[in-house]
Amino acid sequence: MKCGVGIDARDIEEMYINIDPIQAGGRLTADAMKAAISFGDGYSVCDNCRRPFRLDYIQNPPIAQFHADLAAWLNMDAVRVIPGARRGFQAVASTYVEKGDPVIVTALAHYTEFMAVEAAGGIPLEIPKDAKNHITPDAAAEKIETVIREFSRTPPLLFVDHVDYQYGNVHDVAGIVKVAHQYDIPVLVNGAYSVGIMPVDGRTLGADFIVGSGHKSMAAPAPSGLLAATDEHAEEVFRTTKAKGDVTGRTFGIKEVEMMGCTLMGVTVVGMMASFPHVRERVKNWESEVEHSQAVTDALLSIEGTKVLSDYPRRHTLTRIDTRGSFDTVAQQHKKRGYFLSSELRRQGITGVIPGSTRIWKFNTFGLTAKQSQHVGESFVKIARENGLNIL
Amino acid sequence: MSKRAVDAVFQALFILSDLRFLLRTTAPWHDLDEGEQERAAAYIKKVKRQIAILEEELIR
Repeated sequence: MKCGVGIDARDIEEMYINIDPIQAGGRLTADAMKAAISFGDGYSVCDNCRRPFRLDYIQNPPIAQFHADLAAWLNMDAVRVIPGARRGFQAVASTYVEKGDPVIVTALAHYTEFMAVEAAGGIPLEIPKDAKNHITPDAAAEKIETVIREFSRTPPLLFVDHVDYQYGNVHDVAGIVKVAHQYDIPVLVNGAYSVGIMPVDGRTLGADFIVGSGHKSMAAPAPSGLLAATDEHAEEVFRTTKAKGDVTGRTFGIKEVEMMGCTLMGVTVVGMMASFPHVRERVKNWESEVEHSQAVTDALLSIEGTKVLSDYPRRHTLTRIDTRGSFDTVAQQHKKRGYFLSSELRRQGITGVIPGSTRIWKFNTFGLTAKQSQHVGESFVKIARENGLNIL
Repeated sequence: MSKRAVDAVFQALFILSDLRFLLRTTAPWHDLDEGEQERAAAYIKKVKRQIAILEEELIR
């Protein structure tokens, strides 16, 4: 079935259980699908844009209220919606980082954090992870001290991922923020894998900025996300333009420089808004989500030779697994080689494991029903058994 | 202008979105339990009502 010339309709989510590590939290709610139908036209939210002509002031649809609701929900002072988490990193780095500044990131930071620092002219420097793949407050303190010694100045910014994309481990952000604040370093918390799927409280974390991803964790169309800030920093990162045309004398009202004016002008913001009541509720069911993740992980660990590389017991739905001692041994002999696993999973109605992966790979069970997650676990065991692997 | 027809188009699409969501939560089997079958039946009935409105409004 086509949805346009040469474009197949996408029915992955209707036909399969999808455990793709990056897609789970961004699946739309039914209300977001309806919003996409209604607000698909380009500048669709601008019908009722009135002075002062800025997205976060629009009353109908209730975008202004949505901004206030997001800030309250995260326990932060100000929020802007943005086209993806990376644009949040970019806005903050562009505001605080000068050419040649050392900026602290971590050994588990997403690549877009590096690029945001690079674009601002800064030098990204990583806090190393420990043997358990955690970023600790002690390691943060040590890195800050090292950087101050080497650069003879304090880094203007520290990025830390609440939950990292590699292992799905939950890090001691509050402890790291406490350390950074002892050096007066503001902290940006990357909540791409937490905001929208698990409870996040900015005040409890002590965050100066929180960045969330709409399409990764808030059941919203891409590209979407949010940048939240405390009052102290909101004035800086959300500063308004002072530009003036030297020929025309034009000025540009209260457009915000780092936001490049308005950000999400159609289906993205309304999709986020439509999902928000559901998102606000679903984070309260986080423990149940983690239980599903644990059950699938345990099923995989029952296959002899399999190891979990993420924290165990699981504290998140994103999990990194090592099947070099199990499924990869099958792949060595199988006529489909490494593709046998994704192929067998498809036969069971499961997708999302990168075709060819039988060594180290990730999966995400977020949003699956109990029945679906049970089927995923049982399917891994069934495939293992049918291919001669021992079940412990 | 037929506001009634336009509303019926949106309403039908929205109900079908609910049905689509049901297909997602029951993938890959779509083997609906009793409650899910009741919901599916209600959606289908509502969509038929919207189609009837469209026929009344647009095909006279």
